[in-house]
Formats: sequence, C-alpha cells, structure tokens
Amino acid sequence: MFRLARAAGVLVVVLWSAAPIAFAVLSSFKDNREIFVFPPTFVFVPTLEHYGDLFRQWPDFAGTLFNSLAVALGATLLASSCSLLAGYVYARHRGRGLAASAHFMVAIRLLPPIVVTLPLFPLADWLGLNDTYAILILLYAAFFVSLGTMILKATIDGIPGELDEAALIDGAAIWQVVWHVILPLAAGGLTAAAAFVMIYAWNDYLFAFVFTTSRAKTAPLILSEMMSSLTGVNWGVLFAAVTIQLMPVLAFVWVVQRWLVAGLTAGAVKG
Amino acid sequence: MRRFGLAQLLMLAPAHALLLAALALPALYVLWLSLTESSYGSASSFVGLANYLALWDDRYFWRALGNTLVVIHIIIYAELVLAILMAVTFAGLRRRRLLVSIILMPYAISEVVAIVIWKFLMDPDVGALARPLMALGVAELNWTTDPTSGLTLVAIVSIWLHLPFSFLLIYAAVLAVPHELREAAAVDGAGAWARFRHVVLPTILPTVLVALVFRYIIAFRLFSEVWLLTGGGPARSTEVMALYLYKQAFTYANFGQGAATGWVMVVASLLFAAGYVRLLQQRSFARV
Repeated sequence: MFRLARAAGVLVVVLWSAAPIAFAVLSSFKDNREIFVFPPTFVFVPTLEHYGDLFRQWPDFAGTLFNSLAVALGATLLASSCSLLAGYVYARHRGRGLAASAHFMVAIRLLPPIVVTLPLFPLADWLGLNDTYAILILLYAAFFVSLGTMILKATIDGIPGELDEAALIDGAAIWQVVWHVILPLAAGGLTAAAAFVMIYAWNDYLFAFVFTTSRAKTAPLILSEMMSSLTGVNWGVLFAAVTIQLMPVLAFVWVVQRWLVAGLTAGAVKG
Repeated sequence: MRRFGLAQLLMLAPAHALLLAALALPALYVLWLSLTESSYGSASSFVGLANYLALWDDRYFWRALGNTLVVIHIIIYAELVLAILMAVTFAGLRRRRLLVSIILMPYAISEVVAIVIWKFLMDPDVGALARPLMALGVAELNWTTDPTSGLTLVAIVSIWLHLPFSFLLIYAAVLAVPHELREAAAVDGAGAWARFRHVVLPTILPTVLVALVFRYIIAFRLFSEVWLLTGGGPARSTEVMALYLYKQAFTYANFGQGAATGWVMVVASLLFAAGYVRLLQQRSFARV
C-alpha cells in the first residue's frame, strides 16, 4: 500500500517537474495545427519550420543569445574570482572586523534587486553604462558574490592550512599560493559558486528588462517580447526560441548538479 | 597562521567593492531618495516623510502589500509542505539520484520561459491543462480578467520554479538524519507518523528555518511572474510590491514614492526574516 502510494507520488513529481518542459520542447517541432490539438499528441511528424521562421522573423534572436552568453561568462568570471579571494581570507583568518565584514556580505544580500535599479538606472545612464554588458555583469556578480564567498570559505576550510604555510615558507607570494595551491584544491567549491551565478545571469529577466534596450539585450528579454507581440503570439516560433534558450542551461545544470547540491547546502547553512 | 595584513585587505577588496558599488551605496541613496521629491532628470528637494505618507494614503499600495503577503505566504508554505513530503517519501528510494535530477529541472528554467509554458498550458481556450481542469469544473481560469485566478497562476508558476531549491535543502537534511535514530524509534514501536514527528522533524527543523528565511527573502522580490502574466492588471488589482515600485518610479516618474516603497519592502522582508537570521548568524559565524 505504502509502496503503491510512493510510486504514485514519484510519478506525480516527475510529471510536475519535467512535463511542462518536455511539452514546450515537443511543441516546437509540431506544425501550427498540431500544437493546438487536444489532447496533446506525442507521435507526430516533426517539423523544423518554426526554427526557420524564428531566425527569419526575429533576426535579433541569435544576437541576444550571444549577449546572454557574454554577460553570463563575464559575471561568472568576476564573481568567482572575487569570491575565491575573499573566501580564502575568511577561511584562513579570524577577527572581529572580519566577522563584521562577513555579516555585511550576508546581510546586504537580503536587498531586493528591484530596489537598486532605482538609483542605478539614472546613474548608469549618466555614466553611459545603460544597454552595455558591463552594467549587467556588475549586477549579476554583485548579487552572487556573497553566496560564492561563503561556499568558497566552507571549501577552503577543508583544505589544511599547512599546505599554504609550506608554500609561503618556500618563498611563494600569497597570490601564488591562492593560484597554485588553493585554486586546484577548491575546484569543487569554485564550480558551485560559478554555476549559481552562471544560471542566474543566463536566465535573469528583471535587470535585463530595466537596463538594456537593444545592443546588450539578452535572450529572456526577447522571449518576453515574442510573448507579448502585438501581432499575436506565434506559439510555434516562441516554443522554438524557448527550446534554444533552455536546452544549454538544462544540460549545464545536469552536468554541475553534484556541485550545485553540495554548494547549496554549504552556502545556505553557512550563510 | 599568517598575520592579517595589506595582502589580505586587498583580497577582500574586490568582493566588497562590488557589494558597495552595486548594492550598499545604491540602497542608502534610495533611502535619501525616499525623503525627497524628484523625478528622472530634475533637481530634488527634501520633503521628509511625505512619500511614506503618500503611500499610506494610496489604496493601490495597500492592495500591492496585501497581494504580496497573501501570495508569498501561499507560495512559501505550499512549497515547504511539498518539499518535506517529497524529501521524506524519497529518502528511502533506490535510483534517487535520477529522481533528484528530474526534480531539479525547473531550477534551470528562466522565469520568462516558465511563464511562456504555463501561460500556454493554462490558456482558457487552448491550454492542455486548463481544458481538462475546466471540464472537471475545478476552476474558472479566466486569469486575464479575474485577479484571483491571475494570482493563483502566479503562485503556481512561482512554486514550480522554486520547489527544487526548497526540496534540495530539506532533502539534504532528511538524508543526514542518523539511520540508527529511526531504527531505534521503530524498535520502540513508533509508527511512521510518530517517527516523523518526534525523530525526523526535530532533526531537520534548523534546515527548515534556513529554507524559510531564504524563501521569504526571495519571495518578496516577486516581480517577473506577475509583470509577464498580468502586468498588474486588470485595473491594478494584481500588483505586488516590486511591481508597484517599478510603476511608481518608471511609469509615473515618481522616484520618491518608488524609493519609499523600496524601503518598506526591505523593512518588511527584514521583519519577517529577522528572528531566523539572527539565530543563524549566531550559529554560523561564531568561529569566524
């Protein structure tokens, strides 16, 4: 009885999690009539027409994908390097000032992103940063540097301090220790820290919506434009665009899942 | 252990510079903005608490606050109950790694993509999910015209997006409950419910608190789901705090009142999370 209920539970949870995504991906290969057939079909003659239409009707789409990738990579690099350096210091040193600055890092993370758009929008405008990669990279990195630092502190806590002591006595500079000793051993934590900001930057809507209009426009933003198109939604094209946007990040999450889970529990418990 | 010196300070600097420039200073500036009368491009003048009083008198503000509180509590507690239920049920399964991978899938999905998919599934005319639901008479799903349906759909999408997060946290805690503890309880004749209530629940409680804090903080930010589904309409009936803020500042060019809303959001989410956060900080930074 319990086994049966549990099997049903598993089935419901799998359907709930995967079916909406599978539905969108499958629909992108259905022709315009098939998409609306009820109940939904699973066996059909696949067509690539929506993918062709997508790049014809939305010539900007490829560019927005590239923008998303550039911004995500930039933010990931910035947040991970800042987190590695800060995490190293928090792991190897103790003190009241350090505890206070760690509190600051955790507390500032409570701030809702929409709040900082208010002053940053006119400021970025004045600095000529609106509609650039730079402003998005800065914001995405800033919102994930705290979590990254806590994950890396927890990771480096587990690396014996004698290793860096030995390197320092041998005459290595501190940055060489971080680069040659800590970095390779903290790769797991670094992967987790990087993965969180990468996923966030690739998927974010709010900051892209406020700060970009054309040159730095990201993929989620153009998806929202397709959805609210005044000429009526072309669902086939929209599902094709959605499929292209979600496949890379879905694959990425599957690959880094192990580190995500470890990082989430470490980061959450620590900070 | 090396002494803390210039090198360490320089290593802390980039992370702090980032946080100061993008978060802390803008937040303080928002506080100043909330006390001034200004719109984009014009000089500002100090008006004291006038912006906060204007919020107090604005029924749309109260509606946004009410909507936010109702929706995020539904989201948070539905998620919590589901996450605990799933974690306890699946902890004993074989091949659970695959199951976790599947449960994790919505975590990879952008809010925009989630809205696209659910909007289509729940379309009253063509939706593959809406049609059977309406045929069964479960609900009238006119979420473009009916505020309650609109916010219900917002809650569903939000739960779908964030359940993996709550689940993972709680699942890790359930896996960490010592097996001997449960067996000892079972030997003593405790039933499934008693084992959960008196063995599992007390052990995972700290993690449940962590999950709650995180979810409160993130849930208060609720914006994209509402903006993309209902736009706050019809007639501003489905606005939430972040959306009200956005409209005040960017649609009505009323930066002062938008800024005041921002601080109300910050204070409100702090009040809710304060007790838990304090507890957590004492636990996790005692050694720093």
